[in-house]
Amino acid sequence: MTRYDTVVIGAGTAGLTTACHLAQSGQKVLVVAKGIGALLLASGSIDVLGFHPADSLTPVKNPAEKLDDFLADRPDHPYNLVGKETLKTGIDQFLQLVNQAGLDYQGDLNRNWMLPSGMGAVHPTCLAPASMVKGDLSTDESMLIVGFNELRDFFPALIAQNINEQKLGVEAGSISLEINIPIAGAMNATPIELAHAFEQDAFRNQVIKAIAAQAKSYDRVGFPAALGIKQHATAVAHLEKQLNRPVFEISSLPPSVPGRRLYEALKAALLKAGGRLIIGSQIVEGTIENGRITQIRMETASRLKAVIANHYVLATGGIFGGGIFADAEGMVTEPIFNLPVAADTNRHHWFEKKFISPTGQPVFNFGVKANSRLQPLNGDSQPVAENLYVAGAVIAGSEWTRGRTGEGIAVATAAAITAQITSQAAKSLR
Amino acid sequence: MSTDTVIDKVTHSIWNQVQYSADLCIKCNICTSHCPVTNVTDLFPGPKFVGPQAQRFRNPKDISVDASVDYCSGCGVCSMVCPHGVKVMEMNAKARYKLYQKKPIPLRNRLLGRSELLGMLGSPFAPIANFMMSVRPVRIITEKMMGIHRDAPMPIWSFETFRGWFKSVHSKSPNRKISPKRVAFYHGCSTNYYEPRVGKAAIAVLEHNGYEILLPDQVCCGLPMQSNGEFGAACKNAEKNIKSLVAYAKQGIPIVGTSTSCTLSLKSDYQHILDIDTEEARIVAANTYDICEFLLDLADAGELKTDFNPVDFTFPYHSPCQLRAHNMGLPAIDLMEMIPGVKVDHIQAECCGIAGTYGYKVEKYDIGMAVGKPLFDHIKASGSKIAVCDSETCRWQIAGATGAKMIHPVELLAKAYGLQDFYFN
Repeated sequence: MTRYDTVVIGAGTAGLTTACHLAQSGQKVLVVAKGIGALLLASGSIDVLGFHPADSLTPVKNPAEKLDDFLADRPDHPYNLVGKETLKTGIDQFLQLVNQAGLDYQGDLNRNWMLPSGMGAVHPTCLAPASMVKGDLSTDESMLIVGFNELRDFFPALIAQNINEQKLGVEAGSISLEINIPIAGAMNATPIELAHAFEQDAFRNQVIKAIAAQAKSYDRVGFPAALGIKQHATAVAHLEKQLNRPVFEISSLPPSVPGRRLYEALKAALLKAGGRLIIGSQIVEGTIENGRITQIRMETASRLKAVIANHYVLATGGIFGGGIFADAEGMVTEPIFNLPVAADTNRHHWFEKKFISPTGQPVFNFGVKANSRLQPLNGDSQPVAENLYVAGAVIAGSEWTRGRTGEGIAVATAAAITAQITSQAAKSLR
Repeated sequence: MSTDTVIDKVTHSIWNQVQYSADLCIKCNICTSHCPVTNVTDLFPGPKFVGPQAQRFRNPKDISVDASVDYCSGCGVCSMVCPHGVKVMEMNAKARYKLYQKKPIPLRNRLLGRSELLGMLGSPFAPIANFMMSVRPVRIITEKMMGIHRDAPMPIWSFETFRGWFKSVHSKSPNRKISPKRVAFYHGCSTNYYEPRVGKAAIAVLEHNGYEILLPDQVCCGLPMQSNGEFGAACKNAEKNIKSLVAYAKQGIPIVGTSTSCTLSLKSDYQHILDIDTEEARIVAANTYDICEFLLDLADAGELKTDFNPVDFTFPYHSPCQLRAHNMGLPAIDLMEMIPGVKVDHIQAECCGIAGTYGYKVEKYDIGMAVGKPLFDHIKASGSKIAVCDSETCRWQIAGATGAKMIHPVELLAKAYGLQDFYFN
C-alpha cells in the first residue's frame, strides 16, 4: 500500500533511527531517500558532546556533567529544543535498537570513549562498536597499529607517531603489510574491499602470520576499521584468539565499514518490523492544506508518484547532506517543502578563515527553525503543518563539528519525534 | 543573457545531464561499496573510478572511456545508492558505447543483443532447438566458437509464441474481456518466445479486474543491444516502439509490461541513455507501468479485486536491479502480501549476477555467479522449491544456480485468483 502511518524522508542516522522506533511500535513506516545517507561517510560511533567550551582542546570526559554548560552556551542548538532527558532517552533507545539488531554498541552518557582517529588524534565519543572501544586511549595499554600498503588512505606510522607525541600514556608502534587484497585492483583498495578480504579465513591467517612476532611486544592490536561486514564478529574473534590479545578498529576514510554495518543493521531492523525502504528516489514536493501535509510526491523513473501518510518526518540533513541547499547567489532553501530557513545570506559570513575553526563553520548552522515538538515554524513562529516534523541536522543551529554533537542530535530528535507520534496514535485510538 | 538564466541552467539543467552530473560527485565511494561487481573481482575498479572520477580528467562535454568499463554489468545499483545524484550507470553505459566505436563489436555480443532474432529462430523449432542447447558438446562448441559460457542458463524456447496465442486463440475466445477500460500490453521478447505463461497470467489478472487487453505492434525494447554497445540498432528499435506506443499513450491507455527491464527502457533509458529526447518519448515514458505497479495503483484506488484464494506458503522473493531502478519501491511485495496466507521472504541481495546478457559471456560468467552467490545461498537454505522474481533473465539465472522453480509475481496472483495455476511441491 502507498498509505502509511509515517513517511520518513532521509536514510541517515536520524531518519533510520526514527523509522525503526516507529516501525517497532507497530506503525506502518516508509523511508524514502535520494541515496544511501551519511552513515557510510561517518565513523559509525555516536558523538554526543566531545568538546566544551568550543575552543577547548581537552576532550569532554563525562558528557552528562558538561551538558548544562553546553546548553546554556548554545541556546540555538537542537539539544535545547528536546532537553537533556530526551537526549538520555534517545541514547538508551538507540543502544537497545542496535544491540537487538545484532550489533554490539557500548557506552553511556556518563563517559566518553577516547578513540584514536585515523590521524592519531583523540576522538571523544559516547557510544561505539565494541570493536572500536578496545582502542580507548584512556588506559595505558600499548598498541600495535597495523596498516596495508594497498589501502592508501590509512597510515599506521602517522597514527602511531601522533599518539606517541601527545604523551597520552599509551605507547604505539606500527607496521604496514605488503599483502595482496584479493578483490581490489592494484593500488585501489577501499576499506569495504579490505572488509570483504577479512571475512576470509585464508586472508586473516596471512595477516596473523605477518604480524604475530611483532604483536607479542604490545598489549593490543589496532586495524583499519575493516574487520568484516557480515562476518565481523567471527573475524575479530579469530584474530584475538590467534594473536592472544585484544584487537580493535580505527576509523579510516570513507566508505566507512562500521557505518555500513550500522546501515545494514538498521535497514534489517526496519524491514523486520514491517517497514519499507526506497533508496534512489527523491521526494520533490508536498501539498499543505489546512495546516496539514496531505501528500508528498516522489520522483520515479518517469513520473511523480504520490505518497500518503498521517505523519511526515523530514530527516534530509543539513547543507552537507543536501537537506539544505544554497545556490551561487547566496539563496539558501529547504528544497522539498520550501520551509523558511535560518541562514545568513551574506556569503562572506558562511565560513571562518580557518578550516578547523574553534568556533565551527557558520554554514553548518543553516537549517529549519523548529519548536519543542520539532515542528518546523513559519515566519510567525507557528507550525507550518501539524503533522510535519524535522529530525537531525536539517534543524537550525545544528553545527556539529564544533562540539561533536552530530549523532547526538540525530538520536535525540528521533526519540522526541517517536514520542510525539506514538502518543498521538495512542490518543486517536482512544 | 542575464546572470539569472545562466545560473538557472547550471543548477537545474546541466547537472542533470549525464556527463555533467560527474561534477556532483564528492568521491565518497558509496557506489563502489555497493557495486556487486567490484566487490567480487579485481577486473572492475568500480563505478566511481571508471565513471565520474575519470570523467573529471576529460573534456566535460565528452564521456571518458576506460577499457575496464566493459566489466560494468549495468545493474544500476551505483546510480541508485548515490546520495548526490550522479548518473553513474548511465555514464558508464555511454562509455561502453564509445569503447565499441573504437573496436569491433564481437559477433557474440551482436548475437546476445538480438534476443528477438534468437527467439524467432528458435521458437518454430523449439523441441529440436531446446534439445540441441541441452547437449553438452553443443554447449562446449558454442563456448569455444561464440564465447557464451557452457553453464550459462539458456532459456527454453516455447513452440507457441505469446503473440501467436493471443491472435489465434485468445482473440477468438468468447471469454475475452471487452471493456471501456483498456491497457496496451508490452510483452517483450522473453514473454513472446520463452515464457508465454507470464503474459497469459498477466492478461488473466488484468481481465479479471475488468480490463480489455490491446496488443500493440512492438519490437524488442533494444536494451540487450544497448548493453552490448550497439546504440544505433537499439535506437532504431526504440523509435519503432515509441511510434507504435505513443498512439495508445496519447489516448490515455496505460502501457503495461511484465518485463521490468523492457518497461525501464520505455520509461527511462530511451531518454537518458539513448538520448531520444522527444515529446513522443516522454509521453510513452509517462504512461508506461510495470504490471505490479499498475495493479498496486488499482489497489490503492480501491479498484483491485481481492477475491483471492488462500495460498499458505512463504515465498523467497528477489527484487531485480532493473525493477529497483524504477525508483518506485517494490509493489510486488505489497501485492503478494494481499493474498491470504502468503508470506514474502524478501532476500536482501544487490544482484543475481546475470544482468541481462552479462553473465552469459565466457569471461564474465564466474563474476556473475560470484555476484549472485549470497542470493543463491539464501534460496537453497530456505528449502523452498519455488521463488519469485519480476525479471526474466534473473529468473533463468536463479533457477539455473539453485534448481528452484522461478515465477513472476503475477503468476502467483493468477493462481490466487484461480485463473492459472503453477505446480510445486
